Amino acid sequence: MARWRCPSTRKSEPIDHSVPGERLDESASPREWAVRCEGVSVNFGAVRALHNVCLALEQGRIHALVGQNGAGKTTLARVLAGLQMPDIGEVHILGRPIQGGNVRAAQAAGLAMVHQHFSLPPSFSVAEALELTATKGGGAPIYRRRELERRWLAEVAGSCNVSSLSTRIRDLPVETRQSLEIVRALASDARVLLLDEPTALLTPSATDSLFDRLQILRDTGVTVLVVLHKLREVAAIAETVSVLRDGEMALGPVETATTPQGLISDAIIGEGHYESADVAGQAVATGVGRRTHLLMEEVSSKDSAFERGLKNVNLRIDGGETVGIAGVEGNGQRSLVSAVAGLTRIEGGSIRIGESEAAASSPARRRMLGLRLVPFDRNTEGVSRSASLWLNQSALRLIGRRQGDSPIISTRRYREHARKALERWKVRYESVTQPAGSLSGGNIQRLILSRELSDGTEVLVAAQPTRGLDFAATEFVRRSLGELRSAGAGILLVSSDLDELFELSDRLLVMLGGEVVARFVPPYDRRAVGDAMTGARR
Amino acid sequence: MTGRLSQAAVTVILVAAAFGVVALIMGISGYSVTEVFSGSLQGAVTAKGAPSSTVRWAIPLFLIALGVTIGFRAGFFNIGGQGQFYVGACSALAVSLGWRTGPGVLVILLGTLAAMASGAVWSFIPGYLRVRFGTDEVLTTLMMSFIGMLVLQYLTAGPMRNPAGSGQTAASERIPDAYRITGSSGVSLTVLLIVGVTAALIWILLERTRFGLRVDLAGRNATMARWQGINVRRVGLASFVLAGALAGLAGAVELYGPAARLVTGFSPTVGFNAVVVALVGLLSVPGVAAAALFFGGLQSAVLFLPIVSDLPPSALVLLHGTVALLVTIRVRAKRRVAAA
Repeated sequence: MARWRCPSTRKSEPIDHSVPGERLDESASPREWAVRCEGVSVNFGAVRALHNVCLALEQGRIHALVGQNGAGKTTLARVLAGLQMPDIGEVHILGRPIQGGNVRAAQAAGLAMVHQHFSLPPSFSVAEALELTATKGGGAPIYRRRELERRWLAEVAGSCNVSSLSTRIRDLPVETRQSLEIVRALASDARVLLLDEPTALLTPSATDSLFDRLQILRDTGVTVLVVLHKLREVAAIAETVSVLRDGEMALGPVETATTPQGLISDAIIGEGHYESADVAGQAVATGVGRRTHLLMEEVSSKDSAFERGLKNVNLRIDGGETVGIAGVEGNGQRSLVSAVAGLTRIEGGSIRIGESEAAASSPARRRMLGLRLVPFDRNTEGVSRSASLWLNQSALRLIGRRQGDSPIISTRRYREHARKALERWKVRYESVTQPAGSLSGGNIQRLILSRELSDGTEVLVAAQPTRGLDFAATEFVRRSLGELRSAGAGILLVSSDLDELFELSDRLLVMLGGEVVARFVPPYDRRAVGDAMTGARR
Repeated sequence: MTGRLSQAAVTVILVAAAFGVVALIMGISGYSVTEVFSGSLQGAVTAKGAPSSTVRWAIPLFLIALGVTIGFRAGFFNIGGQGQFYVGACSALAVSLGWRTGPGVLVILLGTLAAMASGAVWSFIPGYLRVRFGTDEVLTTLMMSFIGMLVLQYLTAGPMRNPAGSGQTAASERIPDAYRITGSSGVSLTVLLIVGVTAALIWILLERTRFGLRVDLAGRNATMARWQGINVRRVGLASFVLAGALAGLAGAVELYGPAARLVTGFSPTVGFNAVVVALVGLLSVPGVAAAALFFGGLQSAVLFLPIVSDLPPSALVLLHGTVALLVTIRVRAKRRVAAA
């Protein structure tokens, strides 16, 4: 049994996995560990990000690192890459010690990292970006564009789909940008590739092709360590999985194939996991009947800078119903949500919210009619990060005119109201005056829900409500949506997570090129929906 | 609250640091540092008439800085206070010259309203360009300021020139005493009442109305505000109009108060200094009031220093600039942190 033991950790279940070869011994190992860290701890002020983490990963395999938001995954990745100096502990990459958080040392040892947020400069051409950021140098101080492009073409060819190396980074779709990040990482002949949540922004098909690429790399002998969120993805790609919880190694590395998924998810979540806000107990739209809450007829809109406009979209959502919108990103989902919210003007058609025609109404008027929104990007569209929690929570009270309102308000009452709402939604915070940006992603989403699922919700448009959230927060959001639905509101759910759509939707619409191209009812056929999304079936 | 307090503490430290820098420079240049500072203290606080002089110079700074504050809070860099101040003063003068027989209260009231309206228009133009076309308001408000200066220059040298004047300076005739709210000291109960009521109203508007909270949200994150149904353009335009009206009011108070006539290029930096006042005051009404008094005191000291010694008043201009530099650095740093 080959199992490297961290001298200082309490042992979790030792799970047998056989590796060809004999017992690996630190001093006389036949081959070095790709990544080995011992007793690594990192503290940010009073916050413990990592505590006594030990990890050893074999060469030539694909390893996954999972854990909730805030479990320390990104911090550990940064420690490995030399971007973060551990308070104590040692890191070895391919046997070479990386001292004191030294990026160059990690690179020299053979490690390359692909960050969660892409780091290629958007205004550069592909060739320029690669030349600038690749560690493999050798070009003349003054370069010629053509020569640069010729040099990089060989690297790029076959691994990503770029028509011309003079294309600007910002004009590329997100999956191509990511492929380029990997190309850049590997250009320095890296032997260990570290990817921090690479699938967060990818569509299912792009995720599949990313995984294919990782497997090809593995076959050439590269060790891959990938930070993931979804267990399904772990099962699809990783050979071993390690779990971080509250900054400590909760499990692993263990063999993915022989470890039950339940064990992994228990390790991720820990004990006493799920909680729920009592949405059903709140006053939601009156008249819980089969009444239409949102009706869109023949709605069309102009193409925006980012994606296609809408083409004759028809959509009806009744009370107590969740309608899902599936589709490859960029096929009009944003246009759809913007049209409903009133953020873009529509060119034709009608939109009814509740009993009222709203196509010509202001965004504020639509909110007054009972429209609630969970925007795509919670950090820029959902909250103002520098504004206080109570101001963020009170945003909906700032619009429209209500009878009997005094022109002068009591901010104390606003704060009190916000405090109650945040507590009901179990947001973890210290003071209602702290800025929203100080919360974690899951707590920000709870803050948004606490605001949007207030009384009078006629229809909720939830755009990617669980993107980037950890298991517990995802579960919380989904349950809240379910309770809102039971309480009689209509829900429009836009998501790129098919499992989520299948679980929550009473009906499912597929958008392609700004049109609704297919409609499904349960039981859903993953294959058929996938075909509709990619246009294989029309 | 602790955040506010620590910010205020940092501001005080920065101002103290500016004093240190200036003292160093004066020391190197061979002046007696203690003499300069004691002279300044006399000019700002302890000399006879100094407190009222300090208040007199603080008033226009304060009113304009209130407008700048609203702009900053709404997310705009409206630095056109100088021009808005000038056109306001010109409008007030036009009313009092045009209705020479009117009763004092009415003329002053009408003139003040005209000043606020014209200041608002002067600010509305760049504001509209900003929210409608995205034109950079820093450039447009600055350009409008230059136009405002030229308007003043034209009027005082042309249509409103005092025919009995010496011809040495381009200046209007004096307005009758009946149309004035202070003597030449610039401080009277009426003026203090006007400024106090204005400050209270602006404080309530910003801190205790839903409009004020909308301004805050829109200024911090316009995208989020739009998703929340806030009409960001309207909020932005309102901030420009309010800022212009306040600067226009400052112009009227200056004319009906201490100035009594318009001279070309009077108070040439008050609109720009008001930007620094707003920043030093941390964009809160009480803070801006305190900062305005501080800079008003500096202004008063600048005028007093040559009386007591041969010290160069420019030493205090230097102090002013150093404070502005340090405070601005901090604003930028904070913005970048917020954006990250």
